[in-house]
Amino acid sequence: MKKNVFLFFLALFGILLTGCQNNESGFPSSDNPTVVVSTKEIYGAPSRKFEIKAALADDLGLKSVQIQIPELSLDKTISFATNPLLESYDLSYFFEVPANRGTSEAFKIKLIVTDVSGNVVNEEINLRLDGEFAAPSISMITPKEGAVILLSTSNDMPVNFVVNDDSGIDYIQIKCEELGIDETVQLDGAPHSYTFNKTYKLPVTAANYVLTITAKDKFTIPNTGSININIVATNEYPAIYLCDQPKGTNLTTDAVGVPMYFHEKTGQDFEFKYYADKDNKEIYFLGQESDFAPHCFGLNASNELIDDVASTPIILPTKGYYKIKVNPNTLKYTAEKYTPSSKVWADVANGLWHDDAAQRKPFVSVCGGGIQGATWDTWDAWTQKGLHLANNASNPYQLVGEYTLTGTMEATFTGQWWDPSWRLIKNGIATMSPGENGNAKYSAAPGVYKVVLDTELERVFITKK
Amino acid sequence: MKFKYIGFFIALLCTAVSFGQIKIKGTVKDKANVPIPGVNVIIKGTSSSAATDFDGNYVLNVPNKNAQIEFTFVGFTTKLETIGDRTEINVILEESSQTLDEIVVVGYAAVKKSDVTSSISSVKGKELQTMTVGNVTESLQGKVAGVQVTGQGGPGAQPRVLIRGISTLNLNTDPLYVVDGIPMGTSINFLSNNEIESMEVLKDASASAIYGSRASNGVILITTKKGKEGKTRFTFDLSSGMQIMNNPYNMADAEGYATIMNKAYNNSGYSDYLPNPSQYRGKTTDWWKEGIRKGTPVTNASLGISGGSDKHTFGISLNYYNSESIYGIGGWERVTMRIANDFKFSDKFKAGITLNPRYETWGAPGNWADFDKIDPITPIYKPADQLNGTENEYSIYARSPSYVWNPVAAVNRYDDYTDKYNLNTNGYLQYEPIKGLVIRTQASIEVGDEVRNSFTPDFVIDAAHEKQEINNVQKWNTTNVDWTWQNTITYSKTFAEKHNASLMIGNTMEEYNGNNLWGYGEGVPNNSDSMRELNAATKNKDSKGNSWSSSLMSYISRFSYNYDGKYYFTGTFRRDGSSKFMTNNKWANFPSASVSWRILNEGFMESAKDVVSDLRLRAGWGKVGNQGLPDAVYQSNIGQGYYVIGGEVVDTSYPSSMANKDIKWETVEDMSFGLDFGFFKNRISGSLEYYKKQTNDMLFLKQFPTYSGFPGYSTMWTNVGSMQSSGIDLLLSYKDKKGDFSYGVDLTFTTVNVKMLTLSADGEKLYGSGNRTLTVKGDEPGYFYGYVADGLFQNQTELNSHTDEHGTKLQPYAQVGDVRFKDVNGDGKIDEKDRTKIGSPWADYNVGLNLNFGYKNFDLVANFYSSIGNDIVNQNISDLYNGASLTNKVSGLEQMAWHGEGTSNSIPRLSKDDNNENFTKFSSLYVEDGSFVRMKNLQLGYTFNNKFGLDKLRISLSGQNLWTWTKYTGVDPEVAGGDPDKGDRVKGSGFGGWNYPVQPTILMGLNVAF
Repeated sequence: MKKNVFLFFLALFGILLTGCQNNESGFPSSDNPTVVVSTKEIYGAPSRKFEIKAALADDLGLKSVQIQIPELSLDKTISFATNPLLESYDLSYFFEVPANRGTSEAFKIKLIVTDVSGNVVNEEINLRLDGEFAAPSISMITPKEGAVILLSTSNDMPVNFVVNDDSGIDYIQIKCEELGIDETVQLDGAPHSYTFNKTYKLPVTAANYVLTITAKDKFTIPNTGSININIVATNEYPAIYLCDQPKGTNLTTDAVGVPMYFHEKTGQDFEFKYYADKDNKEIYFLGQESDFAPHCFGLNASNELIDDVASTPIILPTKGYYKIKVNPNTLKYTAEKYTPSSKVWADVANGLWHDDAAQRKPFVSVCGGGIQGATWDTWDAWTQKGLHLANNASNPYQLVGEYTLTGTMEATFTGQWWDPSWRLIKNGIATMSPGENGNAKYSAAPGVYKVVLDTELERVFITKK
Repeated sequence: MKFKYIGFFIALLCTAVSFGQIKIKGTVKDKANVPIPGVNVIIKGTSSSAATDFDGNYVLNVPNKNAQIEFTFVGFTTKLETIGDRTEINVILEESSQTLDEIVVVGYAAVKKSDVTSSISSVKGKELQTMTVGNVTESLQGKVAGVQVTGQGGPGAQPRVLIRGISTLNLNTDPLYVVDGIPMGTSINFLSNNEIESMEVLKDASASAIYGSRASNGVILITTKKGKEGKTRFTFDLSSGMQIMNNPYNMADAEGYATIMNKAYNNSGYSDYLPNPSQYRGKTTDWWKEGIRKGTPVTNASLGISGGSDKHTFGISLNYYNSESIYGIGGWERVTMRIANDFKFSDKFKAGITLNPRYETWGAPGNWADFDKIDPITPIYKPADQLNGTENEYSIYARSPSYVWNPVAAVNRYDDYTDKYNLNTNGYLQYEPIKGLVIRTQASIEVGDEVRNSFTPDFVIDAAHEKQEINNVQKWNTTNVDWTWQNTITYSKTFAEKHNASLMIGNTMEEYNGNNLWGYGEGVPNNSDSMRELNAATKNKDSKGNSWSSSLMSYISRFSYNYDGKYYFTGTFRRDGSSKFMTNNKWANFPSASVSWRILNEGFMESAKDVVSDLRLRAGWGKVGNQGLPDAVYQSNIGQGYYVIGGEVVDTSYPSSMANKDIKWETVEDMSFGLDFGFFKNRISGSLEYYKKQTNDMLFLKQFPTYSGFPGYSTMWTNVGSMQSSGIDLLLSYKDKKGDFSYGVDLTFTTVNVKMLTLSADGEKLYGSGNRTLTVKGDEPGYFYGYVADGLFQNQTELNSHTDEHGTKLQPYAQVGDVRFKDVNGDGKIDEKDRTKIGSPWADYNVGLNLNFGYKNFDLVANFYSSIGNDIVNQNISDLYNGASLTNKVSGLEQMAWHGEGTSNSIPRLSKDDNNENFTKFSSLYVEDGSFVRMKNLQLGYTFNNKFGLDKLRISLSGQNLWTWTKYTGVDPEVAGGDPDKGDRVKGSGFGGWNYPVQPTILMGLNVAF
């Protein structure tokens, strides 16, 4: 009997002691939380985000979920509010794989789910980095964007491009609704590279066309790439450009002004005003803006103008301003030096120009977008001294500076209170106020650029430094 | 015949008595060996007495050798001497700082210290003169409980003085200074500390309410030195020394700069900014050494003559102060003269007149920071091959790619100086027709003229960035004429021996008038000194001018009563009428009342008097005002500015401010309780006070709501909001003397708690200092408001985990080593809503410790001051640590800044781009503990008495601001308020930057009296 009494009290105190134990969580015990992942295997790739999805639930309340990939330096804890308690949570967490990881690597994603009672559940997901997410790359050989096909010469449109893809190309497609082109090339064996080369005939009437080329790869989750090429089929050149860069130069790295758009056009007589910044300056005329081909006008061995990518440059003998006329049909050109008579604005940049407003604080700066430090507020243009243009010591008609571009840019070069100002419209034209309306937007790779505002030419040249 | 015998007998007796007496003579002087006239010399236990003459001499017949003579004089400790065998007894009386019979100035009157019922602290001129400072209030630092003084470096700089914290948000926080009874505004830069006899700080409203509408920040009464009865006495006081300007930062040399900048560029993905840093080794331009003087002289000198008879006393002093600037040009120089004459025509008539002519000149460049900020590679001058010989003298300097203008060139161009001339005349006439009735009239006129001349020469150091194509000349002239007239009648009477009463009534009138004129011109033919005149300008001449006036008329009264030296009551009442307000609120009343119970004089304290020397309880209440807003806020004003009309920017006019006819004073209501005590013959003494004050009807300059149709710039002064401050002041003193060794310790302790009670609207947020401070209801004003910098990202794991719940990075541009900003509101993004309180500019408490020792003829004084618990925004962090700018950086920054896990948790990695906005976001990265302890003064002196034919010769060596302890890494922990012109006086407090430091100073002193 004594033994039973002893055991009774032992059990009673045992229960009481158990009951008196400090429950640190402050919540009653509950069942383990549950984790249902959307997939046990996730594809990722270097420099690419992947998503971890899971449905978390707990009968009492969730406390936290910890996501760990130690090899990729991920250790994220998401804590949940406890007032009110959260019984379910749809985890959707994105993480970018570091660029320096190899595509052959694989990792375990560990999910540690804890509920308010202190129950912990672990779940693992496989992460593979051999996923392929890049669309097939399409490299146009011809025609290039903005290509001009002179119908008077030929109505052939050769289409030549190369497609590359790491996981293999499924098919390519060439479409141009106006020309009735809708051609799909299904490729066998999913080659990593494919070259397309075919010549299409164009109608003899002038028109603009958009050629759409699409390529699709064969990855588990297919990727599709596409580009649009604008083509001008014409009996005459819509524009001629003056290029003072050596052949082979990439003409798409500048933001504005290279090659230079013509100043006047009468029929096929194009007139340029141009400043040769040194003696024996070499120039070409181009029939398109972004490439030396197909129409590059230079000199042949007889010093005659020819439309040939292999031609030699036209040479402007001495430094200074020129009026240059060219006709791509008659293949005639003239280059005549002249002395500008427009107002010299150098004093503005010097801070000297304040005859009209006694307290004016002259400067030439820029307002716009995509230029570091610049806004559309002239106050910023004034206070951001780094935006101020300075005189070109060797040419009073040029104001020069250096800007950092952050992306697509637009600009109006301005003195105090927009007086004077030069609005940068399309084709690199800096129209002086009142001038033409409409600031044009120019795409530019982020970086530091040299800026030349030529007030005589009313042109802006913004080239990568 | 019988009467003859009797007469003879009496005569004989008298002779016998006379023959039994001893004739004692001697001289009474003070510690400085100056004779004291008027000392009461009395044979103890008798009514026989004598008084010292002009030269301190006395003659007295005493009955026998055992007699004792007592020497008493107000302000000095009583001395007792036994005759013995001596016939000549020379005595030196020591001044007492705790004498209850001491006279204290209380505003329109002077009373015995024992009769003071409100919170008033006195500081003697002698204490102030131990330091050599341009502005005497700097000497007050740590000497008065309840007074917070924040020093400002630089010649002529004015310290910030707060008496019991702040009671306004938008107006001036400086106290009112009253010199010899005349209100002199909120600055006393014009006063030499050698001119001051004593300063009384009126701390609570029951003391200061007699100054009514200008007393909300407290009042400091200054009594200047006057002539003293006695022989003509000459004094000469000189202290001269050097102020030390140490470079607060160890800046990088040329090679170090190149290394740091390259690292910043490389970390941002760019190639080296300055390739091969070793090529710059040994080619550092030491800008600091070139342009900043390590030691600059400072001199404070006074020559005084005083003396007079019982009919006329005079005191004349000539005072000179000069503090040169660290640039080698300019500084601050002040010459003042004070001629005081007091006349006693009869027992009923007194009069006096004091003339105070003054001259000040100041001006100095302010670009000392540029000497640290400019890159150390750029040479001072352009290389010879970049000069063509046509440049003027200001164009031969090199331009720095750091965009910091060449500081040596800037100093060389500097020409902006101000001269100020003032004459103050202060006179009074006093008539006492019957005993106890004093009729007094006092008038003062102050005439001043301030002329500022500036010339900016033309120069071209760099055509794009550093130039002034056309020179210009400017001149400002400001004239003021202010006058004051005050009349009082005071009647004091004791009834039935125990009832002591005094009533004062009076009125005052004050008027302040000023006008200014500005002239401007450009195109002076050349930069030579002789051409720097407006008349030489050839282009764009311009001028402006204005005038202003304000006046104040007041009625004042005070009633004091005490019963048997135990129970005291003082009531004051002032009625002010100000020109700054319109009819509705032109007049306002400022009453006060205070009571005091001198417990010591109660019968039950008799037995404790051996221990307790003073015990008194005080309580006071009062209302004071602040009218420190511009003169003509009752007017609507038209402003000039550019405005867009019809798409065109036009120069036009707009309503800039609108009148508020109901505008009235800010009113501060104040209650305070105090306990004064003294033990062991006042060897231990002090006072403990608690106060609480509330400001109502605070003055705010508010913008109009947009729906009103007024432009956004239009403003109107209006009375909204209230605030409260409370705190404790404690003064503890201990003094003793052991043989030749005497010593004293004063400890002052001050706490201030301030909070806003209401603003103009619920939930209103008042930003200050460029949105970096916030003032809201229920919290202290102007606290630092920004992002919380939660250390630096030490590794990639920390960086990767700083996301929202979906993995979106909270700081997408952050890299390891960048600042981690805290998502305070937990909404998964870092934006404006995450800004919070990140520090406070207000100290938890201030402590002052003042020590003085004397041994024989040596004396030693040491003063310490500390501010504990305040924070400071160290704005220089960006200049010194931010790789995004091309300015110079601190030496070794490439190692101090984060460059690997665990290398730093406070200085972000070097970066050219700072895409994470480590430095452009205002965060707790900038907030540092601003507590400091500073040894303000250490002075050792030796006095020769009666040597070299002089009464006194004292030489001293002292050091000021020699030692400072602080964790603050900026220039100087003494950082005051913001720009009052931007309303940031309070809301912009605690922003440290390139503020001119309070400089260590070494001084030699000489005091001569003869």
